[in-house]
Amino acid sequence: MTAAPADLAARKVTAGERLTRGDALALYRHAPTHELGRLADLVRARKHPDGIVTYIVDRNVNYTNVCVARCNFCAFYREVGAADGYVLGFDEIFAKIEETVALGGVQLLLQGGHNPDLPLRWYEDLFRAVKQRYPDFKLHALSPPEVIHLSRLSQLPVRTVLQRLIAAGMDSIPGGGAEILVDRVRRLLNCYSKASAAEWLGVMETAHELGLRTTATMMYGSVERPEERIEHLLRLRELQDRTGGFTAFITWSYQPPNTELGGSEATGVEYLRTLAIARLVLDNFDNLQASWVTQGGKIGQLSLAFGANDMGSVMIEENVVRAAGAAYCMDEVEITRNVEDAGFVARRRNMHYELLGEPFFRQHAVPRFTELDVAREEGDEHVPPELDRYPARSRAGKLRQQSR
Amino acid sequence: MPTLQEIGARLAGGEPLDSPDCEAVVASSDLLGLGALADDCRRRRQGDRVTFVRVQQIPADALDAPEVAVLPAARELRIAGPFPEGRDGVRSVERVVSAAGAIPVTGFALDDLVERNASDASAVADVLAALRDAGLAALAEARADRLSGPQWLAAAGDAGLKIARLTVGEPTAEDGGAALIRRVAGWGGALAHVHAFAPLPRNLPPQPTTGYRDLRQVALARLLVDNVGSIQVDWSLYGPKLAQVALIFGASDVDAVSAEDGGTLGARRAPLAEIERNIRASGLVPVERNGRFENVGT
Ligand code: SF4
Repeated sequence: MTAAPADLAARKVTAGERLTRGDALALYRHAPTHELGRLADLVRARKHPDGIVTYIVDRNVNYTNVCVARCNFCAFYREVGAADGYVLGFDEIFAKIEETVALGGVQLLLQGGHNPDLPLRWYEDLFRAVKQRYPDFKLHALSPPEVIHLSRLSQLPVRTVLQRLIAAGMDSIPGGGAEILVDRVRRLLNCYSKASAAEWLGVMETAHELGLRTTATMMYGSVERPEERIEHLLRLRELQDRTGGFTAFITWSYQPPNTELGGSEATGVEYLRTLAIARLVLDNFDNLQASWVTQGGKIGQLSLAFGANDMGSVMIEENVVRAAGAAYCMDEVEITRNVEDAGFVARRRNMHYELLGEPFFRQHAVPRFTELDVAREEGDEHVPPELDRYPARSRAGKLRQQSR
Repeated sequence: MPTLQEIGARLAGGEPLDSPDCEAVVASSDLLGLGALADDCRRRRQGDRVTFVRVQQIPADALDAPEVAVLPAARELRIAGPFPEGRDGVRSVERVVSAAGAIPVTGFALDDLVERNASDASAVADVLAALRDAGLAALAEARADRLSGPQWLAAAGDAGLKIARLTVGEPTAEDGGAALIRRVAGWGGALAHVHAFAPLPRNLPPQPTTGYRDLRQVALARLLVDNVGSIQVDWSLYGPKLAQVALIFGASDVDAVSAEDGGTLGARRAPLAEIERNIRASGLVPVERNGRFENVGT
């Protein structure tokens, strides 16, 4: 049975009032899952009365897996000098863009490890080269911790780094690296040094001031407590009140396989409850994405009954979640089928959540795909030639450059 | 048509669904509303308990192997595949039953036995009696879409064999998948011979069903099929996430949890700790059962 504070909080949602921390916790802890879903669906329908569910055709490219941050929840990174560490060449990235465009794609989600051998200039050169070749193609690139890493590497303020990246062609910032925006949790996850909660929020605030729109994320289910998840949401809500710069929120569960931290993954019900409470707390966010890549297509579709109004990205390629053992795939046909089966209207969008039209496959012949691509084929260890233009900082990088 | 709230109020008062109620739930596109109704219905029957069973499968074509190695965690030995013809088949079942000791042995599909005996009622009765005499605790399943009617469930009951799981072989789009559930709901007293109804199809189509569809089927099964105690979902076939969410949409029994250690079986076949964690995370209480649907301690 719903506890009284949860009943009161539910009434507030129905009346369109803002939830307090206590309201949110009461609902998260005590509201029956269907009730939480019903409330989240009510708010979703208020914000999106047209019944449209959006998605974007893009590609999730990880330009390098070499990372010095060593977050203990990460199965993706490789240490500097590791044999299976990679940096994608510009040509490889151009080829990925061309494949993406052929499938109706409009942007790259470009993120990677904190590689000490890639200076700010590498990013600027890459972005400029992309924009020169594909002027309309968008770069949703570099999460706040990557921006902070570049700021430290180049010894320039975050604002300057962002200004230079924007000048080179960066269009928006993905909300990765937020994990839980509570420093107790960040210390336990060994990700406090890559960005404290305040630093993550600071990058986003600066980006918003500079006119960029960004997304926000939350990775739950590692070491945090329920009240820390709520704290995370409240911090995002507070920043959004001030800047209005977040376009969307995405939450996913920590993926334990192949990580140092280990443990077990939060369950499907916990995902749906967390998504729903996010919809209720983040009353100033328009869009909530379903994380089918971590939850699978079925729970991804059910997210639409628990507050989500966006199926995220067709993705084409994914490396980070796959490294932790999950390998779900949905192409545009499959996303559309799931959206329509749930009674919604499927529409393509861009990074600003502006509608681009009907599903691309209904107007063009596109190949089906049943598996997401990877950054690189296994065993491909080639080093892109242009890396020699950028002086390496790591010992391994210096040795490699000396030997060429 | 009555609303889901009106139907819920009547169900809470102990009234069964009448025909307009059934029409209303089948016509409803309110997935969460149906789920909440089915969840109430299931809680009135089982409270917050969810049963599960750890199953060791023995392929029917490996029954004549020299030894039957029984896994310590198995709570049901299930012979999977068609019944081997003749006396040899019965003897093989006897060997498995003997090796299993106190662990119930189930096996075979009722519809398959009916088909192999060309729907000859007396031949089917003979096979069922032989299986019962061999020590089979229950028939593993009966696929409702392959049975001509409830008389075959009654035949199994008459032979002293319960059916562990009444299920669905092939997915069907007829009436949004509700047609078969309604047909089963009409089988009345013969359903007394069935322990659980698993409304999600066993044969997965190349284009998978969706989460909405699966959960709607589970909820409709709970709401419409009044004469079966448990609505069941298959942990291995449908995966932990969907199976767990089904528990709050009317399901109260989880089948096919692996009796093997999870290590080599992949994430979709979770071990004991995983199933218990998932049941608890949906606010419910795990209770382990065996192949006879008797509760056993874990
Ligand atoms: S999560 Fe990102 S920053 Fe942390 S180790 Fe992995 S790649 Fe590096």
